[in-house]
Amino acid sequence: MIEVSHISKDIQGCKVVRDVSFVVRPGSVFGFLGQNGAGKTTTMKMLVGLNQPGAGQITIGGKAPTHRSVREKIGFMPETPHYYSHLTGLEFLTFCSALFRVSKNKQECVELLREVGLYDARDVTIANYSKGMKQRLGFAQALVNDPDYVFMDEPLDGLDPIGRLALKKIILGLKAKGTTVCFNSHILFDVEEVCDEIGILHQGALVYAGPVAAFAQGKSLEERFVAKIQSLTPTI
Amino acid sequence: MIWRILHTLFVIARSTFIENLRDKVLYGILLFAFMFTTFTLFLGSISLGENTYVIRSLGLAGIYLFGLLITIFLATALVFKEIEHKTFYFILSKPVSRWQVVVGKFGGLWASVAASVVGMLAVYLCVVWYQGGGFDVGAMYAVGYQLLELMVIIALSIFFSTYARPLASVVYVVTFLYIGHSLGLLLGVAKDTPVLQSAAMGLYYALPNLEKFNIREVVLHGALPPLEGVAVVALYSVLYAALLLVGASLLLGRREL
Repeated sequence: MIEVSHISKDIQGCKVVRDVSFVVRPGSVFGFLGQNGAGKTTTMKMLVGLNQPGAGQITIGGKAPTHRSVREKIGFMPETPHYYSHLTGLEFLTFCSALFRVSKNKQECVELLREVGLYDARDVTIANYSKGMKQRLGFAQALVNDPDYVFMDEPLDGLDPIGRLALKKIILGLKAKGTTVCFNSHILFDVEEVCDEIGILHQGALVYAGPVAAFAQGKSLEERFVAKIQSLTPTI
Repeated sequence: MIWRILHTLFVIARSTFIENLRDKVLYGILLFAFMFTTFTLFLGSISLGENTYVIRSLGLAGIYLFGLLITIFLATALVFKEIEHKTFYFILSKPVSRWQVVVGKFGGLWASVAASVVGMLAVYLCVVWYQGGGFDVGAMYAVGYQLLELMVIIALSIFFSTYARPLASVVYVVTFLYIGHSLGLLLGVAKDTPVLQSAAMGLYYALPNLEKFNIREVVLHGALPPLEGVAVVALYSVLYAALLLVGASLLLGRREL
């Protein structure tokens, strides 16, 4: 279980996250929604322990995200990252795997690359990867430790429809295995398809957290999301 | 536990090493260095009987200069680039501490710089041998000392790169390099004024005394440093680098990603 309790975060004097609390149930898929600058990435970085909240606390399986044992169980895919471009996809994945107590061998890494559709490009240097291929590699490295909790920042960004479909299948596969998945996305159609629950951040505050169906109330998620944000910001 | 820490350091160092060795710019600098070393053959041939001395002198200076260029080029942007490009996110979201990243990166970078410098040394030794200078043992010492100096410079660059932009880091490192090689001179200038002398002494002990690593002139005249001297300089280099890496780790630990 992921428990977020009254977290706040100031960055350079600006309140980026304000008193946010929510719970993500084990084995569920949780989607973070919000406009650009709503605080989604900042919250995500605090969830994986890259940054500390200024107030409040986060626990994953009862422990802080910075705890070594928690880190062993976390997979994180950052938003549009740069890679070590002179390494091949396989070298990068093997490198990421070797940072865990129990690491995958080369063959297992090859299989993971096959799963995300990068088998043919495994020995190509990352500098020659397309944006979509980099997204897939980012996804593979987030799964390299067979995590119990997967956090992804805009995982569907830059993927073509086939790539998005493949990634959504993997997310649903993870859910079926009991993995807890938490991700940010602007593509609400996909969120609607794969998420059990959503959290909507607006100007750093959580304005909704709960089941997708309860929020959508029979309408499309996008329609309801836009209406919600417009009701909070009448100038939009 | 210790094995686990060492394993993580090795994994980070190895990937840094591979990444650096595949950098095309590094090969550009190395190619230029090899061309320079072979060019000394020509300079030696027009030096009126002092050809071996000229080749050795210019060769060692070239290895130093190009080694330094490679170091500054690779090291000053190292941590900054990782934060800016979010590459750190991959590592730091895993069971890895920030200090382990700093030390691992340092190890990998030093290994890649050492590999480049040793490559240049091999070319230099062949050139000197070809010119009838025999096997230049002194050059091995000079380059060994240079690698110890580069250890300090890499640590210094990493320290600056935890909070400064690459260009600013280059300026800081070059300034420290200049001061570090002029500390003896500074002490000499200040010796007649008590107040200045105290300040100069303070700087002498606080800043890295890089002239300790310069034995090129000594080995060119056929002398070799005593083994205890080598040990003291190695210890100085390791301790100074360690201190800088502790500082870099603390700075990185406080930094928002």
